[in-house]
Amino acid sequence: MSPVSFRRATPAVLAAAIVLTAAACGGGGGTSQQSGDGKSFEFWSFTGINQKKTVEAYKKIHPDVQVKLTEVGSTAETAQALTTALAGGKVPDLVLIQGDDLPKFLQQPQNFQDLRQYGADKMKGDYLDWVISQSVARSGEIIGIPTDVGGMAVAYRTDLFKAAGLPTDREEVSKLWPTWDAFIETGKKYTAATGKAFIDNAATSVFLQAVNQGPEKYYDQNGNVIYRTSPQVRTAFDLGLKAIQAGISAKQSSFSEGWSAGMGKGDFAVISAPSWLLGQIQDNAPGTKGKWDIATIPGGAGNWGGSYLAIPKRAANPKAAWEYISKMQSPQGQLDHFLEAGSLPTTPSVYQDSKLLSQKDPFFSDAPIGKIYTESLLGLKPYVIGPDDPAIGSEFLAAITNVEQGKGDPAKAWDAAMANIKTAIGK
Amino acid sequence: MTTTLSPRRTTPEAETEARVRQSLAERLAPYAYIAPFFLIFGIFGLVPLLFTFYVALFDWNPIGEHVFIGLDNFSRLLGDPRFWNAAWNTISMWLLSTVPQLLAALVLAHLLNHARLRLATLWRMSMLVPYITSVAATTIVFAQMFDRDYGLLNWLLGLVGVGPINFQQSVWGSHIMIATMVTWRWFGYTTLLYLASLQAIPRTIYEAAAVDGAGAWKQFRHISIPSLRPVIIFTIVTSTIGGLQIFTEPMLASHTTPLTCGPIRQCQTLTLFLYEQGFGQFQFGYGAAIGVALFVLIIVIATLNYLLSARIRPER
Repeated sequence: MSPVSFRRATPAVLAAAIVLTAAACGGGGGTSQQSGDGKSFEFWSFTGINQKKTVEAYKKIHPDVQVKLTEVGSTAETAQALTTALAGGKVPDLVLIQGDDLPKFLQQPQNFQDLRQYGADKMKGDYLDWVISQSVARSGEIIGIPTDVGGMAVAYRTDLFKAAGLPTDREEVSKLWPTWDAFIETGKKYTAATGKAFIDNAATSVFLQAVNQGPEKYYDQNGNVIYRTSPQVRTAFDLGLKAIQAGISAKQSSFSEGWSAGMGKGDFAVISAPSWLLGQIQDNAPGTKGKWDIATIPGGAGNWGGSYLAIPKRAANPKAAWEYISKMQSPQGQLDHFLEAGSLPTTPSVYQDSKLLSQKDPFFSDAPIGKIYTESLLGLKPYVIGPDDPAIGSEFLAAITNVEQGKGDPAKAWDAAMANIKTAIGK
Repeated sequence: MTTTLSPRRTTPEAETEARVRQSLAERLAPYAYIAPFFLIFGIFGLVPLLFTFYVALFDWNPIGEHVFIGLDNFSRLLGDPRFWNAAWNTISMWLLSTVPQLLAALVLAHLLNHARLRLATLWRMSMLVPYITSVAATTIVFAQMFDRDYGLLNWLLGLVGVGPINFQQSVWGSHIMIATMVTWRWFGYTTLLYLASLQAIPRTIYEAAAVDGAGAWKQFRHISIPSLRPVIIFTIVTSTIGGLQIFTEPMLASHTTPLTCGPIRQCQTLTLFLYEQGFGQFQFGYGAAIGVALFVLIIVIATLNYLLSARIRPER
């Protein structure tokens, strides 16, 4: 599992994984098809994405409909519970699937309702093209409707930048790093001036972002595996190693204890931050309110994360679940959720909405988060995501982390990653 | 069953018939009593076990096709460096946790059995505290203690001028960390098992030995250990089975890569590898094959252990 799919995990909930999986099995024999009354449905979500707010908003519009919301656990735990349920347990009527977990389900579309039967193909144009295309199966079935995307930016500490003699204004800071090489150079200046690390870690803050910024990642447009030869992948990998060798990394793995603690202590001055990470920064370092700001990501565009709503084939109340999707995931519904809970809409028609553009976050020095993050999405080139994407991605991250955290030899890291991916996926 | 034997010999035919009927019922009764266990074991133990052998012969996607591939999963397993890495990690962590644990338990049990120990019940019962503490809680606390930057252990090492050790990221460091957690959880339980057996040894034997001039070590070596033989064999076999299935500790030890216990799988055990392949990669067939391999490994090591530990003989 990659840190990507693990992003919303909190340490303690892990222990609940097995219990929950067992509970999912124990539901027993729910094979009844479409036996629901249409007035209630069961909804599985993961923690940290605040689906409660959307559900509450929906209950206000439809007081007659009962929504049974269960926050199963982290994104990966939710996907595992869903797998167990699909394999032979009681399935929910509606389930939230994180983008990185989606390809595995997309390979087996027979487990889900084809949402075209409810008119999803007519709504398709509402969503960012590269986002909705990730939930379209081989024969054109649409199995998921996107709820949010991450976008990408850099969160930085203005107080630490000032102490290092760097500019603090977000426009000027953005100009410091049009490219990743310039970003690493800025890091060197910061580290030379302060003696402290610049980034939290190179694996996620450099490699993972750079590898997402091109037209082809691990698969080409025809779905062939090309991680070995893709120049985009090699460039991103070398950038990751370069950042480590520049000595600008605090070597704190994302979501680890030291990472959370380091945020408050100022152990590092910047983090590559998708929109959903902003809430975690606030939770981990409440004492740093007002000391952060947000600049654009090197390379200009990026995305990390995003989720989809799907309806399992054996759902008892598919119509009630679809009603919910079509109401709450419309452009207006996503805009409302953004203003309320902060998840970035996937519907470009609202990106010019004045309420979105004027949304500011006081924790981050009143940065216009709606504007910054939606701009990072519009510049993104779509790339094909294949079924082995998570496995390939986590091996690359592991190879870089091994150089960063362990005793891995940077000269051998690429070859090691190639060998490990070959073992993992057989290609 | 001898209760039906009667010294009087009245109508022998009727007597024999009654005896046969009664003894049949009597002979069946014990089986009926233990049947519930075997029934439940059959449903929840044996059937899943046999089903695992069956699934191991397939390319089995839990939500997709099941394709029969014979022994391909096993031949792939033998050539998979990740499997050998996990097997080595498992054996290493098992040795690092079991050997110190059993030795410490033996010494502690001997101390707790001392005749002049004050507050004996308090000391004995407190041994069980780690055992009844949630594994997840223990693991999180230990992982923080072993943390590179903010850990208690590295702070103490720093006081004596030893640079911070990145336990989690190194092979030996992570093995020691997890072995410590496992030892911590089980030593109290094992101690109490030994203590119970020690208390069954009559004090007179020790007194007689003392009169004969045997010191504490000689008493321990020649009276305690031979008397503990059955329980030592029991704990060695159970800790082999448990130690080779370590799962929760390595899974919770690494936050960012829970299924591999670190970027180079430095502390991934066989059970964790099984879980990664089965539930992380959706390869149930391959996961089942790992389960079968683990089953064989446990049987081999448990048998070896039994043969070795059976050599502890009571002295005559």
